[in-house]
Parts: sequence; C-alpha cells; structure tokens
Amino acid sequence: MTITVSREAKEFRRKVMETPGAEKLMRCYQCGTCTADCPIAKRVPEFRPRQIARLVMYGQKERLMEGDLLYLCAGCYTCYEHCPQEVHVSEIVSALRRISLDEGHLLPGFKALMEGVAEMGYIYEIDEFENEMREDDGLPPAPVPDTDGIEAVMRATGFLGKVEASTR
Amino acid sequence: MKYAFFVGCTTLSRLPGYEKSARKVAEKLGVELLDMPGSGCCGTTYLETLDHKTGLAVAARNIAIAEEMGLDVVTICNGCTEVLTKANRELKENPKLRAEVNDVLAEAGKEFKGTVEVKHYVRMLKEDVGLDAIQEKMEKSFRGLKVASHYGCHMLKPKEILMSDDPENPTVLDDLVATTGAEPIDYPNKLECCAGPVMGVRENVTWSVGLDKVKTVKQYGDALVTACPFCYLTYERCQLMQEESPNLPVLHIPQLLGLAMGLDTDELGIGHNKVPSTVVLERLEG
Ligand code: SF4
Ligand code: SF4
Repeated sequence: MTITVSREAKEFRRKVMETPGAEKLMRCYQCGTCTADCPIAKRVPEFRPRQIARLVMYGQKERLMEGDLLYLCAGCYTCYEHCPQEVHVSEIVSALRRISLDEGHLLPGFKALMEGVAEMGYIYEIDEFENEMREDDGLPPAPVPDTDGIEAVMRATGFLGKVEASTR
Repeated sequence: MKYAFFVGCTTLSRLPGYEKSARKVAEKLGVELLDMPGSGCCGTTYLETLDHKTGLAVAARNIAIAEEMGLDVVTICNGCTEVLTKANRELKENPKLRAEVNDVLAEAGKEFKGTVEVKHYVRMLKEDVGLDAIQEKMEKSFRGLKVASHYGCHMLKPKEILMSDDPENPTVLDDLVATTGAEPIDYPNKLECCAGPVMGVRENVTWSVGLDKVKTVKQYGDALVTACPFCYLTYERCQLMQEESPNLPVLHIPQLLGLAMGLDTDELGIGHNKVPSTVVLERLEG
C-alpha cells in the first residue's frame, strides 16, 4: 500500500521535525513501546503516543489539534527514555503545542497560567495574605519577583503577544 | 556550604511544611540556604513546551540572580529542577543560543554567564553533604518502618540532561530514607509519573494515577515520601477525594529526615500534612 502525503502534510511534518529533540520522527517503526509505557495512555483511551507519531508522519494535523489532546501529555519523558528509535514523542507533543500556538490556539487554562507568570511573577498570587501565613510558620517573606523584567522578557520574544491573542 | 535557594511558586504558596522542613534540616546540617532577591517562577515545564526561547529566558533570569550571588542553585521542586537544569545546560553549551537569550534578558537587566550549577535538594544532601554526615546527625530511629520513595520524573529525566541518577533505578531518595533507620522499599509502580501536570486538564486522570500508587504502596509499606510539591499534592489530594481514604501518610523527604534528627513536628510543619502521619510518628524510637 502506498500512502501519498500531500505537500501541505509534508510541510507540517517538516515543521515538527525542526524542533530540537523531535528530529528523528521518521525513524518511528510503530513498535508501540511508548503507548504501552505511557501513564496517561493507560487511563485515557484517546491518548496514544504511537498514534501521535503516526499522525504526524502522515500530516494529519487536524486530528492532532483536536480538543485537549496535546495537553494530556504529562511530559514525564517515559516515551523519551524508552523509545528504541529515539523518536521522543514528548518532544513531538511540544512541537505540536508550539505550532498550535503559532496558529493562534491555546487552552484557556494555559493562557491564564502564562499571563499569570507575566503579571505576578509566580503562577499564583503571593502577596500580603500569603506572606502573613508564611510569617505564622516562621518563614521569610517570599522573594518579590521583578514582574516588570519578567513581563518584558516574555514580550520581547513575541511569546506574550501570541498568548494574549490566542483563542481556544 | 552555601546555596541560592529556589523554593518555587507551589511550595512558597501552598506547602509551608515542605519549605520549613527543607530549611530546618539544611540548618541542622550546616547548610546555608539564601533567598534569591527578585526571583520568580522558573517558567513552568509548560512554558518550555510552548516557546523554547522564552522558556530559556525566564529560567535564565533566575539563574542569573544566583550567578550574581556567586552561588549554586538548590531547588526543591522537580519541575523547577528540570526547567532550570535544562536551561543552564543548553545555554552553557550553545553560545549562539546564549547570545540570543542574553539579548532578551537585557530587557530585565540580567545576563546569563554560565557560572553556576543547579541541583535538587536531595542531590545536594547526598553529593555535597554526604550520607555519612547526615547519618551522624540522627538522634532517633524509624527502625522497622517501611518507607516507599516516589522520585517523580523531572528530577531524573531526560537522563542526558539531568545526569543525576539512573531513571530506571534511582537510589538517592532510598539512600536518604535509610539514614533514618527506616527500611526503603521497592514496589511495582515506583517509577510511574504522578500525572500532576494534567491536573488542570483532566483532574480525574491525576486522581486515578495517584490512587494507583497510593493503594500499591499501602500493600507494601507504611508511608510514602516525595521530593516535589506536585507529586506530594497528587498523592495527598487523591486520598482526600475518597470517601474512604486509604490513609497512607505522605511526607516530604526532609520531614522524615528531620524527625529522625530529633527536630519537633512543629519545626517540620508536620501539622500541615492533611493525611495524618500518626502511624509514622508512633514508630519513632529513641
Ligand atoms: S515513537 Fe518510538 S516507542 Fe513509539 S512507536 Fe515509534 S518507535 Fe516505538
Ligand atoms: S511524555 Fe507524554 S506521551 Fe510520553 S509517556 Fe509521558 S505522558 Fe505519555
């Protein structure tokens, strides 16, 4: 059976393979080790690391970008360490998240998280209330992050702008 | 021994028991942990997946603060450990990337020079303080207590970057447990991820992963120790969600060490642990 891959699909595949760590995608021989050892695949039937590798090879972008699929990966690196071909599905997932954000998409929870880091310097608000509780525990006040600096850094790369403009 | 102490958002705001015990045990061992002025979030493991360069820059801003202090960084969160270690390695090894990131960092008045190391607290204990020196500080013993270690992923993997311990057969936590007189145990799903990172996407998946480990450990041992706020919260919360909790005590590793060093429960913030540690405390001898 010959599977023809369109030019668009090839372009998509190329973009994924440009990501450091995801270069060896085409070496995947579909052995299934990644799916067998993935803690999420054990519990979530629609999350299949081997299938993710295959869908990228065939340029099935739409199916990969559906719902919250890309955000189900826990980034545990089990597939990274266990793959006999060094395909690194974890890095392929990262590449897909980047492509999805470049195209204007990010899950609302992650958008809020990233905007929070820029605004508060932490993923949670750590202000007087938290510091009073810390004091009760004999802990020093939390470091005061240079929020202006953090925001400037996140904006200078173009990242924050992309996040702010993103929709689901 | 002196280090720049990078506590990390989650511990700073949610887990005083972890931070207190880490500080107290360090103090007992003569290790100074200095706060890092102006430091903030490491960037999170998500940020590096969404935008590599931004992830490096946000992490490097924190590393640059430690460089200004002239001290290596000690972390107590696996997420922070992975993010900061990876950024530190990549930027040290790749001058082109370092120049690009430094351009961005100039926005925050910082420069990454590549002069310090990053290590997890447990590695600092084992490699820099040494197991013998820790052993010498023990005043009490958990003899007979069976303790399961949960390492978590980002302290160990990817191996070629973290280079700390063998991810398929890690020993650092078990070695530390042994210094308390407790028996470190093996159990079937020891290396499984806590799935904390998907808590915000599908909470029930995290609870299911958490409970599997808790129930397994319950068959083999008396308590679970962790070295990461996310892992800890998974194994604690998954139990609190159950009508009939398995009631497996979960402790931060410095809490277990501190108890055997004779520090009191208050100094170690044991009261903050939401699954009662009574069975552990009762076994402390001497
Ligand atoms: S990514 Fe690796 S482990 Fe997964 S199916 Fe392909 S070759 Fe096998
Ligand atoms: S990194 Fe993601 S895909 Fe790979 S094993 Fe872990 S959860 Fe599964």
